[in-house]
Amino acid sequence: MSNQPRVSANLSKTGNVVRDSALGLVTETVDPYLRFNHAIWHNGPLTAAEVELARLRNARKVNCVFCKAVRYDIAIEAGLDEAKVEQITDDFDQSELSQREKLILVYTDYYLQQPTAMTTEFKQRLTEEFSAAEIVHLSLAIMLCNCFSRCAVSLGGMPEEDLPRMQISVPE
Amino acid sequence: MTWFTEANTQQDIIDKAPTLAPTFKAFYDSFWQLSSAPPSLLELCRLRVAQLHQSDYQWQHQQIELSTEKRQSLSQWSKSAVYTDAEKACLAFTEVYCMDPQAITDAQAEAVKSELGDAGLVALIEALGLFYGMTRVSQLWGF
Repeated sequence: MSNQPRVSANLSKTGNVVRDSALGLVTETVDPYLRFNHAIWHNGPLTAAEVELARLRNARKVNCVFCKAVRYDIAIEAGLDEAKVEQITDDFDQSELSQREKLILVYTDYYLQQPTAMTTEFKQRLTEEFSAAEIVHLSLAIMLCNCFSRCAVSLGGMPEEDLPRMQISVPE
Repeated sequence: MTWFTEANTQQDIIDKAPTLAPTFKAFYDSFWQLSSAPPSLLELCRLRVAQLHQSDYQWQHQQIELSTEKRQSLSQWSKSAVYTDAEKACLAFTEVYCMDPQAITDAQAEAVKSELGDAGLVALIEALGLFYGMTRVSQLWGF
């Protein structure tokens, strides 16, 4: 993995973490991305804490150092604390997370590892717990988080060691 | 029809989340109007992602019309003369991206940048994330 950034953003500083990053070079996608990202975090039907569970599971599997360090304040306000975050390991099935939270993590793992391998039993458990709109929300949230964590890795310049935890707001 | 709804297409399923569907569609559509990465080039990469995932659903979808020759030769793109240097650089990048983005080399990124510039590399990386994600989501949903 390259530890040097592959592009230099070289943009005027707006104070917006997205617009000032390399993503700001692709001007046509910035506003649509920010609006979609806002909807994922604010417009439900899943809570921000539930979305954050999937985001952090993805961050750890993709090994995006930035994504792993971030905690969104909206998720903390919705009830996600560090005691829960610490349970998002490969042994989460043995954790004290709720069954609903574990289903979110299993679905995320299917996306990341083998999306064609979902069992009939798991599909049934998911539909018993989640509405169709919630399954769509979870799927799009995983897709978006995965898209931009892989983007961060692909652009290079990723620190080799973990960063301190950073509590931030969802970029607007 | 999939396992959690009677909707028949990926877009119809996304419409089951009406608070998200319009912003998702606007985000997806924005990639087909880029000045830094031509739509036909992105369509080739989208189709290569579909091939690597063995996703017949995404392969059958046509976002942008390509020549039959370019579609049919895609799995053998590195040996084919029908693709431009820019297309070959992006397809090489696409293949490594799908396997492991940590394995992308500086040379592969430079090859894309030399054809499309910095903005083009970023656009390609974002677009690949979207195509990779849409393919995996369609597989999760049983397509």
